[in-house]
Amino acid sequence: MASPRTYDAIIIGGGHNGLVTAAYLARAGKKVVVLEKRPRVGGAAVTEEVFPGFKFTMFSYVVSLLRPEIIRDLDLPRHGLHVLPLESTVTPMENGDYFAAWGDHDETRRELYRHSPRDAEAYDEYGRLMHFMAQAVKPILSMVPPDPTSFDPRDLLALLRLGKHFRGLGAERLHALMKLMTMSSADFLDEWFETDVLKATKSASGIIGTFLGPRSPGTAYVLLHHYMGELDGVFRAWGFAKGGTGAVSESIASAARGFGAEIRCDAPVARVLVKGGRATGVALENGDEIAAKVVVSGLDPRRSFLDLIEEKDLPGDFVADIKRFKFRGSSGKVNLALDALPSFTCMPGIGRQHRGAFSISPSLEYVERAYDDAKYGEFSRRPYMDIVFPSMIDPGMAPPGKHVMSIFVQYAPYNLNGGWTDAKREAFGDAVVNTVEGFAPGFKSRILHRQVITPLDIERITGLSEGNIFQGELALHQLFFMRPAAGWAKFRTPVRAYYQCGAGTHPGGGIMGASGRLAALAILGDGA
Amino acid sequence: MTTATRWDAIVVGADVNGLVAAHYLARAGRRVLVVGETDTPVDIGWVPPQIIRELKLDPGAIELQQSDPWIVAPLAGGGRLELSRDIAKSVEAIRRVSPADAGKWVEFSTRMRRLAGVLEALYVEAAPDIETRKIGELLHLGRVGLHVRRLGKQTMIDLLRILPMSIAELLDDWFENDALKGILGAAGVWHLRQGPRAAGTAFNFLHHHVGSPAGVFRPPRSRLTQALAARPGVELRRGAATIVATGGRATGVRLGTEEISATLVVSSADPRTTFEPLKPQLDAEFVRAVGNIKSRSIVARGTVKLERPVDFKTLCVAPSLDHLERAHDDAKYGRISARPYVEAVATDGRLDLHVQYAPTIDQTLAERVAAALGGGVSAGQVRLEPHVGHLYHGELTLDQILFMRPVPGWSRYRTPIAGLYLCGPGTHPGGGIAGAAGRNAARVILKET
Repeated sequence: MASPRTYDAIIIGGGHNGLVTAAYLARAGKKVVVLEKRPRVGGAAVTEEVFPGFKFTMFSYVVSLLRPEIIRDLDLPRHGLHVLPLESTVTPMENGDYFAAWGDHDETRRELYRHSPRDAEAYDEYGRLMHFMAQAVKPILSMVPPDPTSFDPRDLLALLRLGKHFRGLGAERLHALMKLMTMSSADFLDEWFETDVLKATKSASGIIGTFLGPRSPGTAYVLLHHYMGELDGVFRAWGFAKGGTGAVSESIASAARGFGAEIRCDAPVARVLVKGGRATGVALENGDEIAAKVVVSGLDPRRSFLDLIEEKDLPGDFVADIKRFKFRGSSGKVNLALDALPSFTCMPGIGRQHRGAFSISPSLEYVERAYDDAKYGEFSRRPYMDIVFPSMIDPGMAPPGKHVMSIFVQYAPYNLNGGWTDAKREAFGDAVVNTVEGFAPGFKSRILHRQVITPLDIERITGLSEGNIFQGELALHQLFFMRPAAGWAKFRTPVRAYYQCGAGTHPGGGIMGASGRLAALAILGDGA
Repeated sequence: MTTATRWDAIVVGADVNGLVAAHYLARAGRRVLVVGETDTPVDIGWVPPQIIRELKLDPGAIELQQSDPWIVAPLAGGGRLELSRDIAKSVEAIRRVSPADAGKWVEFSTRMRRLAGVLEALYVEAAPDIETRKIGELLHLGRVGLHVRRLGKQTMIDLLRILPMSIAELLDDWFENDALKGILGAAGVWHLRQGPRAAGTAFNFLHHHVGSPAGVFRPPRSRLTQALAARPGVELRRGAATIVATGGRATGVRLGTEEISATLVVSSADPRTTFEPLKPQLDAEFVRAVGNIKSRSIVARGTVKLERPVDFKTLCVAPSLDHLERAHDDAKYGRISARPYVEAVATDGRLDLHVQYAPTIDQTLAERVAAALGGGVSAGQVRLEPHVGHLYHGELTLDQILFMRPVPGWSRYRTPIAGLYLCGPGTHPGGGIAGAAGRNAARVILKET
């Protein structure tokens, strides 16, 4: 194929956000090339056959937040995207009981009634409020953050509009939003519920990808995310993509190609070429140079600015801000090949519960203690885990009769005392399977193969700094117009014609694709 | 029995905010009765200069000698770190433990001072009302916005970035020395049931910096309560009053068997205590909101009777951020810290103690405090007082400040009970500030009644 010498845009990194940007630019008629260092696209959203016949979604594991406008604009179902809902979440308790949230609202309510009639009452009101709040926050995800430090009338106007939007919520909801933004999930849930296991399970989902515990302020906000899925009204609107999350990336790549984008794998970029404060192209690690009118980085802020650009091409205070940007990866993943599904003591046998998630979050104290270990540089001896059996939803993931089990684990601090070693990795894997064994005796004997992934592994394989799955912590001071740095949250960078489109920009991580889309719109808006 | 004299206003609580509110009302010609105890010998926290000016107080009668060095901290390897009011002297002291940190002290102090200045401007007014549709309020909001913008881009970015941060992250951005970070981190967790890694503790740190000069990170001390209690213009009665209301309107207070009526009642008591007897007249949402105020006592206070003089004015035992965090870990699960953070202020032959974290007090705590203070103090000298509720009537967490304090929607000192106002530390701007809430409340009252 005769590859053209210059492009309208080069996208560095074929993660889902990079692919979304590429697809939108190509859709607008731009000549686009995506450069991916690995042999396949997807970044952290990849499906790989780790053991013969057993396929794993190696890093990420569920899909809930992929923006509907992206699915629509790029016609992803035609490109193979098929999301199957996860039906339930079962939390085994230490006393042998369980708490289960089912796809059916009334069933969940009945289950909750068993634990606390008062909470069953509150649950409806809570659901209504959160549902409404999620609707109110949703537009923010699709908006370019205004710069509050700027005197540009466009920014002032956008700020005013934002203010008006929030005031339009009415007092009660505005207050709830303020609380969600600032409180810990444990404190916020304490205002509503008394059932500890319910609070533990709900707040556990608020700590995913953060270096925070359920009692840390700032975790309440993530509770909202669970009401933002398109399967409205469902307790946890999580879905599982047929073929794993790699299939999500593949479908976006397919859409991008359909619009004419070129995607090159095994093409690691060494640096961005800058001339007179303007990006002119990239140099690959093999020495090839590719020119383009704009260069877009889908990598995280540290890679985008400290690795790919020379410090002299950036303002000093910007470099300082990026150096301060916090990653602190805190999660690991254990992927298991099983010859049979485990039976959990709290709900014996094999059944519909295996089509949903198991949350190992028996109490608030359990999850908080898991955090305490990590705070002082150790992995959790008894970690919080979110377990799914992808082969129960998509039988193609494992050989007939066999299964794959995906365990998302927290906490595994990137900066482990003494550093990660092979022995520490295995010890971490042991802590995980031994803890599961406690809730599902006999489970360990079902394990055929085990893959343990630490934050350091995530960093080495995908390039995500410190293994942070969100390309930077979703902490209050790293959100919205502060992501990744104050004054640079609009996908542009201090280098002209150099843009950022990864989850290190607003609105951040999860397989949303929102950053990629907004970046593409910003680039097109600049007339690139 | 009902007394004949009719007061314009009765202030429940003779603490610093109650007395400030009372004197502002009296100054406007109202007949004011204050009921409560005035046992506070020393007020901790900034006294807004407006109060001294407007009430024509003699600054000399209020001022206390501020400690200098403002803090002394024992170092792990022996010796001590002493930080002085003279910023150059502090730089020298810090240089002995970390030349890198010494090089940043002046800039850190200057930037924090500027941010505390923003808070000071916000604290001498009622909290901005972000829901308002009134033109005056909108103008006020605009003025606040403009004030912040005029401080320049750097201050604006600092404000947005730092307020929601944890004090640990802020200090780790700047400094390397554990002892220095321990001294500063302690101010970030004051009266919070949170450790230094919790978001919002950087705000708490700035809150307690309000009113202090650059480079001093402990609140000033004064004798405002005593000065106001001795001042004529309002009548002062001792005792514990209960607020009386009928049909959703406050009519006065009950003091023992006596009922005293007034047009207005102003309470500087804890919002929860204030509303407890009025619950039947309040709507369920409001009762729930008041019930949800987080005011978990976490500080034990007490004294040490000194047998011989000590060579410090204020001693801080919080050797590192991790020490503070671990002390908090215990409290998180309801236990008293095995190694609490202890601060001691030497006054008149005794030490005044601040011991955190102590959700309760028990026999062993005195021993732990003595151990923390080291050598010269034995457990037998330590007298700890039982908890009497949260000193600030509500923790200063980000969800309980400004227009969210004491409860969302009721930050303007007014309450759902007609004729009843709040003026205590449970309202904006909260505890650790002497008299600002009382002054703000009085100004609202005078405008509205």
